[in-house]
Amino acid sequence: MRGKLDQFQKILLGVIVLYSIFVTIKNPAFFSMETLFDLIRTSSASMIVAIGLLVVMISGGIDVSFMAVALFGSYTTINLMISLGINSLVFAFGFSALLGLLLGLVNALLINWLKLPTFIITLGTQNLFHGIMTTFISDKSFGAGVLPSCLHGFGQAVLLKLPTENGSTALTVSLIPVALAGILTWFLLYHTMIGRGIVAIGNDEEAARRAGFRPFFLRLFVYGYFGILSGVMGIVYTAQNNALYPNKLVGDELMVVAAVVIGGTKITGGQGKILGAVLGTAIIYLLNSTLILIGLSSSWNNLFVGAILVISVAVTSYQERIKNRNHLIFTE
Amino acid sequence: MQRIKTIVLEDLNISILTGVTLLILLLCAFAFGNSMYSLKNIQSMAFQIPEFGFLALAMMMSNLIGGIDLSIIATANTVAVFTALLLNGSWPLGLDGWPLVIAAAIIGMLISLLFGLFNGLLIARTSAPPIIATLGTMTLFQGIGMALTGGSSVGNIIAEFAELGKLKLLEIPFIFWLFLLAAGILWFVLTYTAFGRSLYLYGGNSVAARFSAISNERLCISVFLITGLLAGLSGLIILSRVNSAKVGYGDSYLLQTMIVCVIGGIHPNGGIGKVQGVVIAVLLMRVMSSAFTIMSLSPYTKKLIWGFMLLLVLGLNYMVSVFYEARKRKRERKGEGV
Repeated sequence: MRGKLDQFQKILLGVIVLYSIFVTIKNPAFFSMETLFDLIRTSSASMIVAIGLLVVMISGGIDVSFMAVALFGSYTTINLMISLGINSLVFAFGFSALLGLLLGLVNALLINWLKLPTFIITLGTQNLFHGIMTTFISDKSFGAGVLPSCLHGFGQAVLLKLPTENGSTALTVSLIPVALAGILTWFLLYHTMIGRGIVAIGNDEEAARRAGFRPFFLRLFVYGYFGILSGVMGIVYTAQNNALYPNKLVGDELMVVAAVVIGGTKITGGQGKILGAVLGTAIIYLLNSTLILIGLSSSWNNLFVGAILVISVAVTSYQERIKNRNHLIFTE
Repeated sequence: MQRIKTIVLEDLNISILTGVTLLILLLCAFAFGNSMYSLKNIQSMAFQIPEFGFLALAMMMSNLIGGIDLSIIATANTVAVFTALLLNGSWPLGLDGWPLVIAAAIIGMLISLLFGLFNGLLIARTSAPPIIATLGTMTLFQGIGMALTGGSSVGNIIAEFAELGKLKLLEIPFIFWLFLLAAGILWFVLTYTAFGRSLYLYGGNSVAARFSAISNERLCISVFLITGLLAGLSGLIILSRVNSAKVGYGDSYLLQTMIVCVIGGIHPNGGIGKVQGVVIAVLLMRVMSSAFTIMSLSPYTKKLIWGFMLLLVLGLNYMVSVFYEARKRKRERKGEGV
């Protein structure tokens, strides 16, 4: 595995390690299994969508509607479960993923029809989906008492329990969907024709078309797949928070985009690693949770995330530009 | 009749836009009557237009070169925060009254130029895609504002500055004149100067522009300087109107500026579009917002409508362009026949 780490991921890992050492020196309480487990728990929902977004970005697009899709899927599903009295995790994940798939296909169809920057189209659908949900389905909030008990069970379930000085710390079960999403995506990207096609249309759509790939079907697949992951993420998120609000999630999508870009993914397509997306998300959540430990208020969060993002964008783009100029390729 | 037809068809987009705007104005007249077209409501709309109008013009400039600037609202708010800190004496300049207002406004504009320059350098010198570069700077600028204020609003600015936001010339707000002036200058620059021509060329095909001896990097930096300045001016207007500055003000403007640009006929891929279109679209948007307020729609319903509108307009534009192409092909075929 070590041989497969590229330059960029090494730098990311280095940054994480150095920062962790710095925080530990400032505040020894940081260095514990508890912190690690806590980081995994809080970041797992975002990691699922980060992995999905990675696939979309490798295909050369971007999607900012996924949080609306996640909310639409989970909110509608749980609403249905409450009113029909269904209490089954399989139904929750299945139905939410199905709704996600449908909304993802809507995105893909619109993108294929209009052939405009995907950011603008998905910004439209983000508002459309959220608006449809809150206007036609419901805009009530649900507290812990009314939610189906299986969700609460899932949110509290534990994979591994470790004793600590004050009680115990636990690895939550939300790691499983992240791992599944990661493995499935890895398999899709590197071991199927679909995955090769996704990388190909990200690099050059016209060349991919001439090589026999069908961009339309690949796009349907990419956005549909991301929709499914978003639907799953919505349920994980709700189970963790044990409450359901019609206005959460939407508005946080740019943070996930930032995480994936920090992970070394090229927004113009064709390049990106799953581990990069995971590390990028980890950095953002690490900063989120540790700024207080090193004596800064959480309002410094954006400053650091922004600085890291700008630096990482500048470095990756500049390398690309030098390479292109050496080959006399002009992209702008 | 033929002449009207040629005028309408010459710029189909603006013709459609003007038609739709007039239609909606008429509909509003029937539906709401005096509550919409009272002098008071028109004036209050004129007070609300400029802050959004400047942001829309900023978005238009970045869209014209095929880019996008997500950092405009962060720029506006952070510039407003800086200016507010100068105006309420937290950072003393040793001035008072109008000299302080002028000095603070100039410093605010310089800061917005600095933000624009940062964007421009990042995009031009590293070839970073504008959407991601400005996502980064958006977070960064927001972060600067947050670090300065801790997320709370900065108020207590001296009264003279707030007067600027209330000032009226000929019954029309001073800030609205400012907006018209900025739009006029941009219109002139885009239509009649070499800079405007090369900007359209750069937006249409940046590689061709590079090989036509246009300095892409300088052009890109100047466009983002203009974008930053326009966004910063919007921040100053917000400050003078609201009397305080806060990071996170007007988050919904980002979607709305994009809708306005698309409705106004700015092609998101760059190179196509006119200032007139955006100005008409801004007015249309404000009237519709006002109508929504009178109908007391929930923010969620507004979201639904804005999102639907964006997609609808994109779809309509697409169909108009298909129609154009078909017409062109028909004409060419006719030409061959003769």
